[in-house]
Amino acid sequence: MAETSKKNPMDMVFASVTGIASFTVILFIIGILYVLIAESSLAIRQFGVIKFLTSTDWNPVKESFGALTNIYGTIVTTLLSMVFAIPVAIGIAIFVTEISPNILKGPIGIAIELLAAIPSIIYGMWGLFTLSPIMSNYIEPFLKKITSGLPFVSMLFEGTPMGIDILTASVILSIMIIPFTASIARDSFNLTPSVVKESAYAIGATKWEVVKNVVVPYSKLGVFGGIVLSLGRALGETMAVAFVLGNNHRITTSLLDAAATITVTLANEFAEADTDLYLSSLFYLALVLFVMSFITLAIAKFFLLRAERKYAR
Amino acid sequence: MAESVELEVKGLDFHYAGNIHALKKINLTVYKNTVTALIGPSGCGKTTLLRCFNRMHDLYPNNRYEGEILFQNQNVLEKRIDLIKLRSRVGMVFQKPTPFPMSIFDNIAYGLKLKGISKRSELSEKVERALKHSALWDEVKDKLNASAYELSGGQQQRLVIARALAVNPEVLLFDEPTSALDPISTAKIEELTETLKKEVTIVIVTHNMQQAARISDWTGFLMLGELIEYDRTDKIFTAPSEKLTEDYVTGRFG
Amino acid sequence: MMTHERKRKIEGIIALTFSTLAAFLGLFWLVFILGDVLVHGVKALNLSLFINDPAPAGVDGGGLRNAFIGQLMITICATLIGVPVGVLGGTFLAEYARGRTVARLISILADIMVSVPSIVIGTFIYAILVRPIGHFNGWAGAVALSIIMIPVVLRTTEDMLSLVPWTLREAAFALGAPYYKVITQVVYRGAATGILTGILLSIARVAGETAPLLFTSFNNSFYSLNMSQPISSLTVTIFQYAMGPYDSWHSQAWAAAFVITIFILLLTITGRLIIKWRYK
Repeated sequence: MAETSKKNPMDMVFASVTGIASFTVILFIIGILYVLIAESSLAIRQFGVIKFLTSTDWNPVKESFGALTNIYGTIVTTLLSMVFAIPVAIGIAIFVTEISPNILKGPIGIAIELLAAIPSIIYGMWGLFTLSPIMSNYIEPFLKKITSGLPFVSMLFEGTPMGIDILTASVILSIMIIPFTASIARDSFNLTPSVVKESAYAIGATKWEVVKNVVVPYSKLGVFGGIVLSLGRALGETMAVAFVLGNNHRITTSLLDAAATITVTLANEFAEADTDLYLSSLFYLALVLFVMSFITLAIAKFFLLRAERKYAR
Repeated sequence: MAESVELEVKGLDFHYAGNIHALKKINLTVYKNTVTALIGPSGCGKTTLLRCFNRMHDLYPNNRYEGEILFQNQNVLEKRIDLIKLRSRVGMVFQKPTPFPMSIFDNIAYGLKLKGISKRSELSEKVERALKHSALWDEVKDKLNASAYELSGGQQQRLVIARALAVNPEVLLFDEPTSALDPISTAKIEELTETLKKEVTIVIVTHNMQQAARISDWTGFLMLGELIEYDRTDKIFTAPSEKLTEDYVTGRFG
Repeated sequence: MMTHERKRKIEGIIALTFSTLAAFLGLFWLVFILGDVLVHGVKALNLSLFINDPAPAGVDGGGLRNAFIGQLMITICATLIGVPVGVLGGTFLAEYARGRTVARLISILADIMVSVPSIVIGTFIYAILVRPIGHFNGWAGAVALSIIMIPVVLRTTEDMLSLVPWTLREAAFALGAPYYKVITQVVYRGAATGILTGILLSIARVAGETAPLLFTSFNNSFYSLNMSQPISSLTVTIFQYAMGPYDSWHSQAWAAAFVITIFILLLTITGRLIIKWRYK
């Protein structure tokens, strides 16, 4: 730490300027929270907290709003996308760190970074024009057929396969999340010291046993943090999902139905809200989303910090 | 006293990736139930030689062995050798203690589980035996389920030795096992090698000449990839045949 | 008779095969998506796209000149706001406040801000920069994007500055330089490539954002350079056109998507290459 004995006035100026710049981060978070609460206060007064969070109403005409359908859609699409994405992402991370020959490591690493850099609207558009027809023409009818007899599972695939539904949205979201999760998992796996891996080989373990028994447990914290971080990102994703989810405010058990998430509702309805209560309810939704994602991201950061501290030993 | 042969190195040449000639025509014989020390200045190839015995170099691409290392009438360097089997008979302890992210018990039992031993009673018996042989049993017998990371550095290294012993290897390779430890732990481990050698043959790489003189029966002195001299330890340290050896052990360079 | 060893080997082969398949699945998506964007986008690329403004709805022809210009302006303004604040902020954390709790706190909060839903930022800016003014405007969009940029630039600046060894600063102090000169004349030099890369990657990040612009800069079917009015952007136009009913709109959306993707990928590749080259 630099403690110069003479206090140079320019130093004080520069320190203040940079300090203020860094404080904008705190300012933004507090500002966003404050503004969102202020803007939703009308809706909060009208609907309260519990009622808003548990109501499935969404009626702009009657001016009755509830968050449950949106929260449901957000959670279902996010969780489903994670179910698809996590195994693939971990598989990719294992491949890049332990299996692939050194020449391939660079290109595949770059491929992952490129996938992560593609803007979400491109995923969304591609989903609408390319994936959705494939889903509605081939994949969804197929899924309907093979689950038609089974008791609970067939409920998941009821309805006409239009391609604009929870399933398609979750697939797109998972494709978006995979590179992000894979890259964090890869970085965590790489932190396992080679001596520890060599020790396992030296006992006679196979490569897979080294990955399973040594690398993965060693990187547990970092990988878990990465997964929760991806969850946080997926929660707040708008454009990838907006094209292919439809905007149907209801709770449904079928993956082939359209639904609504908080983000998609905001994207579609914010600019059209014509009454104060409508707009305030939308702000209320934004507040709920902000709190949800902030908490998720904070948990992720907690795990990632624990992982860092462990490796610094 | 007729000593039987454990490992015989014949004309061993080793190249690292990029054609780096690290070992040149090494010939030496490791005898059963002895401690053989490999000494020499940094970069002389002693660790490289050690890692040939259990084919550790195979983990990294483009390394090349030439020559033979005979272990029980088989050339260990042949491509068709089952590395997993080899490594359970030739164990290794590394410079830094490397406990796995598991409990103390699971660490020791790991090699056993790999071999398919799953009965809890059998595992417990072998774990206890291994911990007693590495002089760690009394210190951990009440906390076998604690994480291995809770042990001190010296204890962790003895844990790693117990882990290697659990699968009943015939040879144990020590790669500078005490260089990261305090003097007391170092002394404990040196004591250990005296008792261990009755059951396993030990090859130890050390940059600490005094250690080599203390604990080994045979010593090989390497420099720049060549085996300069190999003989009984007391001869190497009191009346070496080569001038280079004498210069090294008397501290004239190193 | 299956020996235990054989079983272990087979289990290993199966697991590692799955893993390899996963990797190729990942590659597959990349190729599929980029390929689609390439094929559809190039088909719709023509000069008129860049020179003309949009034709009336439903009428063929026209271009996206206003969207390109608008996107450029918003991104440049966002960069002009976001980069200085981010770099200065990161400097504070890595230098004057290094090791202090407040620095750790801000660092953690910045990391969280990086992943906060961008649409929420859009609503925030709507409340403070759109409603009071009475209409959508380009500045609101630029500020929304800068709020996304600042934490990104701040964190990379902090990380890059922290990589510069302390001895370098000591040497400058020993020559009698005050801290601010040590930072600006010595430390910045040492971390320059890293900070620049962080800036490039943050631009790549915001250039593709749509959600924060949806209700800030909104959209404008006419050519405009006026940032205090709604201004067109490529991303919002893609949203509008792709969801719209006209084929001509769809093909223009593909073309715009192609251009944006190429731009962002080039920025990203450049940034990664600089890091590789510099920190080899």
